[in-house]
Amino acid sequence: MPTSLFSFYRLICLGAALLLGQVCTAYADDAVPSLAGKRIAVSMTGTSHYFDIKAFQAQVDEIKRLGGTPITLDAGRNDKNLVTQLQTVVTQRPDAVIQTLGTLSVIDPWLKRISKAGIPLFTIDAPSQYSLNNTTSDNVATGKALAEQLIKDAGGKGKILVFNGFYGVPVCAIRYDQLKLALEAYPQLEIIQPELRDVIPNTVQDAYSQVSALLNKYPKGSISAIWSAWDIPQLGASKALIDAGRTEIKTYGVDGTPQVLALLGQDHSPVGAVVAQQPALIGKTAVQNVARYLAGQHDLPRESHVATLLTTAANLPQVQQLRGD
Amino acid sequence: MLEALLRRGSVGVFLAILVGFAVAAPNFLSVGNLANVFSQSAILGVLAFGLTCVIIGGGSNVVAGGLDLSLAANLGLCAAVFSRLNNVGLALWLTVSLTLACGVAVGLVNGLAVVLLRLPPLLATLASMNVLAGLELVLTENTVVSTDSPLLDLLSGGAWLGVPALAWVLLVTAGLLTLLIQHSPYGLRLHAVGEYPQAAEAAGLRNARYVLSSYLLSGLCAAVAALCSAAFFSGSTTGSGDMLLSVVAIAFLGVVFSRRLVASIPGTLFAALLIGFLINGFQLLNVSSFWVNGVQGVLILLVVAASSALSRGGHP
Repeated sequence: MPTSLFSFYRLICLGAALLLGQVCTAYADDAVPSLAGKRIAVSMTGTSHYFDIKAFQAQVDEIKRLGGTPITLDAGRNDKNLVTQLQTVVTQRPDAVIQTLGTLSVIDPWLKRISKAGIPLFTIDAPSQYSLNNTTSDNVATGKALAEQLIKDAGGKGKILVFNGFYGVPVCAIRYDQLKLALEAYPQLEIIQPELRDVIPNTVQDAYSQVSALLNKYPKGSISAIWSAWDIPQLGASKALIDAGRTEIKTYGVDGTPQVLALLGQDHSPVGAVVAQQPALIGKTAVQNVARYLAGQHDLPRESHVATLLTTAANLPQVQQLRGD
Repeated sequence: MLEALLRRGSVGVFLAILVGFAVAAPNFLSVGNLANVFSQSAILGVLAFGLTCVIIGGGSNVVAGGLDLSLAANLGLCAAVFSRLNNVGLALWLTVSLTLACGVAVGLVNGLAVVLLRLPPLLATLASMNVLAGLELVLTENTVVSTDSPLLDLLSGGAWLGVPALAWVLLVTAGLLTLLIQHSPYGLRLHAVGEYPQAAEAAGLRNARYVLSSYLLSGLCAAVAALCSAAFFSGSTTGSGDMLLSVVAIAFLGVVFSRRLVASIPGTLFAALLIGFLINGFQLLNVSSFWVNGVQGVLILLVVAASSALSRGGHP
């Protein structure tokens, strides 16, 4: 069984990498400079999803642990609120700003102003040119691993439904581009046009109704997989597949939201794979980068990558254990 | 004397809030911050001016009076039209003209639905809101359409006499509409048509024309706000429909800032700025953003309750 042996080795390697990462972080925790007397603005695009909440809480906890004061800002996934809070943060003159997520074309002009005002700017999942350091999952590897799993499960042929509503969000764009790149070698595996648009808010309900409607159009055997750049549309799509009794179609997404992992654990689950991110570790890493920068260590890399884990039914318990869910 | 003092109670509350923030929040009164609040209030303010015109022309009864629920969706559509046209390389003047025309056309459709088809404005504009949201989706495919233009750069980054361009848009629009609605024969008649339609008709005014014109003004305001929004977001973005409730709240809150407790352009300007200062002040005070909406709602309730109590005092 070379394939399963390979999967086993890969699992062991990934697990080791993840554990090593956490051991290193734990070791590094003591060496992180203090943030005593520093005010750090934690600017969130929203705090309604698993990724946001975990990344947000981890940032606040780590700032407090290092003796700093967090200034918490939540735009509630509304671009107007987000731009307004980024404008006002210049007046607040914090010692640093950490911006989590956001559509780059919308926020970049305002990130520029923060940077021009001399406030050190850090980002999470928003690779702005004005950011001193962007902490993120390795989205190239993430997108590639997800696409390869999809191709493997589909046997290299068939049709795929793709949710591509947030190409403007850089991490989603990278994952989508990796899918397209991987599909180039499999001309028999096609994306159904037009692509679907995932929306915010009501992401789950909207994906559910879009997929439910399309299932009538595409009879059994005509769709192999449903792909989305994150796993909230995947959740809605998976529920639609379960309710329609069409679990022969497999879904693929990124984040590792607990509800999706729970679905993955069920018998006859439509969830093919989900790449689990470690949002808490991402948030903590970003804050530690801020602390290092403010302590004079200005040689930070442009990007700090945090490990992700391709999760399938086979390695689900290990991933949950490793991530501490 | 006492009555005049009471009538200005809401202005007093506004000032008290400003003083409170000025004392408690660092840098609140800095020129940069005040300029920020003015420019941040431009989009909602200009939209609310449009709604104010419609309320004045149609009467202030929420169900049967003038109302335009399609304003935010009209902004979304106009911003999408601007971004798409600008991206295909159309001349700037033509892009801006077509964007303004789009807003006015929507106003015309709303106005005709109300005047000719005699639909209640609430339902007519609710229907058009959905149509416009759909059209916006067709144009944008529910994605952010980023665009770049010298006009947007000027609006988002420009300043004159230390006042940012978007703040100028807010103030100039407020000034022009105040002249038109509050101080011109047209404005006087529009008030008459809205408040005393039968008397206005008996006096020989063609009410339908005035009501229709208020919807045209509203559509124009949506288009101007769309240009501000395109500058704010470097293009068109999703979720413009979320602005609707704030716009209605501002136009409603504006009533308490007028001497006669009716909708007015200066009142709406005050209300837009009050909401802007609240959001800004809370952020500066580091009040957790989770609290902002709740506190904002309570303050609106307090201001409205105080002003209606005062107005009862004025008319026993």
